[in-house]
Amino acid sequence: MSGGEDARKNSVGPVLRAGEVADAVVEAIQEDNPDKQFLIEDRVAYIRIETEGECVLRQETLSDALGRPITMPEVEVNLTSFAGRIETTDTEMRFYLKKSL
Amino acid sequence: MALLDRSDWYDIARDTNWTPGYVPREEIFPPQLSDPYGIPVEQWETFDEPYKVSYREYVKIQREKDSSAYSVKAALSRSKFHDDLDEGWASVLKLHYGAVALTEYQACQFQARMVRFGPSPSMRNMATYGMLDELRHAQLQLFFPHELVSRDRQYDWAHEAAHTKNWAVLGGRHAIDDIMMCRDAVTGTIMVSFAFETGLTNLQMVGLSTDAANMGDFTFANMITSIQSDEARHAQLGSPAIEIMINNGKKKEAQQAVDVAFWRMWRLFAITVGIPMDYYIPLDQRHLSFKEFMHEWIIRQYDRQVRDLGLETPWYWDLLADDIENHHHCQQGGIWSWRPTVWWNPPGAVGPREREWLEEKYPGWNDSYGTYWDVITDNLLHGREEKTHPECIPIICNMCQIPISNRPGEAWKARALQLEHEGRRYNFCTEPCRWIFTTDPDRYKHHLTIVDRMYSGEIDPPTLDNVLTYMGIGVVSEGGRDGHDYSWVDGFRTQAAE
Repeated sequence: MSGGEDARKNSVGPVLRAGEVADAVVEAIQEDNPDKQFLIEDRVAYIRIETEGECVLRQETLSDALGRPITMPEVEVNLTSFAGRIETTDTEMRFYLKKSL
Repeated sequence: MALLDRSDWYDIARDTNWTPGYVPREEIFPPQLSDPYGIPVEQWETFDEPYKVSYREYVKIQREKDSSAYSVKAALSRSKFHDDLDEGWASVLKLHYGAVALTEYQACQFQARMVRFGPSPSMRNMATYGMLDELRHAQLQLFFPHELVSRDRQYDWAHEAAHTKNWAVLGGRHAIDDIMMCRDAVTGTIMVSFAFETGLTNLQMVGLSTDAANMGDFTFANMITSIQSDEARHAQLGSPAIEIMINNGKKKEAQQAVDVAFWRMWRLFAITVGIPMDYYIPLDQRHLSFKEFMHEWIIRQYDRQVRDLGLETPWYWDLLADDIENHHHCQQGGIWSWRPTVWWNPPGAVGPREREWLEEKYPGWNDSYGTYWDVITDNLLHGREEKTHPECIPIICNMCQIPISNRPGEAWKARALQLEHEGRRYNFCTEPCRWIFTTDPDRYKHHLTIVDRMYSGEIDPPTLDNVLTYMGIGVVSEGGRDGHDYSWVDGFRTQAAE
């Protein structure tokens, strides 16, 4: 389609319900992926966070950003969607694509 | 005492396959309900869901989700939000609840089929959560509108719609029966978990939340995004199933399942989301157009997931791009004209400012759809309200059950695509709807559209009153009227005076 969409063809990342967890994810995910540029879209009720190809979100970083402990399964309460694929472990979530276009 | 990490015990807890000794496996997992593709059980045992959760975690998280949804509702139900609510937004709610609430129970039954007949133990495990998820969704979406019934009987369609033969309900039922109720566990998970739940449900449950928040309806915004957080998890049942299909030489079959299901649900969602976003939501509260949301969620996010799994972009993608520009504009015209047949009050909502917005978002709107509304506007300005009600019956698509229409303007392109099958003529709105019929004619050939039912004698005699009663209008509640009592034409009156 348009050039803007083409430039984002390998975009991955979480879509969160707007709120304190979303704000903390925005902060933590940038810290966890220092070499990545993130695009943050504020859609009033939800926040879309995207970057190229792959990114991880770690429990420890997120807990720090939030100011209280949070487990990875608890992120689900606010994780309303995501772009790309997901991999979940006890301590992190990874968003990625297998094929780069 | 320290708990083991989930990853230390997860596989043992999940992998509950055993070799049956008393009966053949096919008797426990009949191909018609489980896997009709003959993929070996060892292959299904490689199914590894990417979004993992334990039962203990599930219960804790779902409790948290429900407490949040219900407490926001309880707090805000003391507000005066519904007292002077714009009827455009009320129509969004009525349409949403009527179309979605009981469909969630069907989704629950479908998940239950995967719980019982899924060929992989991990699939059965994840689907157990999916089944409970869908139960929660039905209960939320029945309970939330219930308190509104005493204000306005049309909200009762949340509970009643699925029990009626309203034309819009027939369309939804035909599609849901097709992809959810009458499929084996494997085809169903590709159609529902992947094609439907990673794609279009995002528009209904997340895209619409933006407009809800702009409207100040935080109860609704909070509820639908909470629902979609379940979907984001259980939708992940689809991708491992597709990969196992591809690895076992069944790519063509997986592709067809995706293509059929996506198109079926697209034709409906353009009505349940597209019309609200571009017409029902008051202009000042609109955030993006439906087309812009479609590009965000479908053209970019969903199609990318299709290709990452090793499938192809559906063959009809160019036709979809065209349909994004047209289908919901056509149906806004149709539904508004046939407003007495629906359970909400669709606003025409095409005053001078709205038309400017539509032209900006859909260049060419004024020269096409605008010409249709010009005639209606002129009739309303001159007190000829009766002329805004059509007198002829539309032709209905034998697949999606939606009136066949197309872009108006200098050359009106509306035409039915036809197909003769076993001595009966079928009409279709688009190539994909006709193609879906040809993939499995026996599945679809006996179904009668609402108009077929008028001619077959099922609605006898097919007078307007009888047809409306048949559709539940005047039974469950009164039918629709213009949601703004035609106040949107006032802007033209002012223009004319100037």
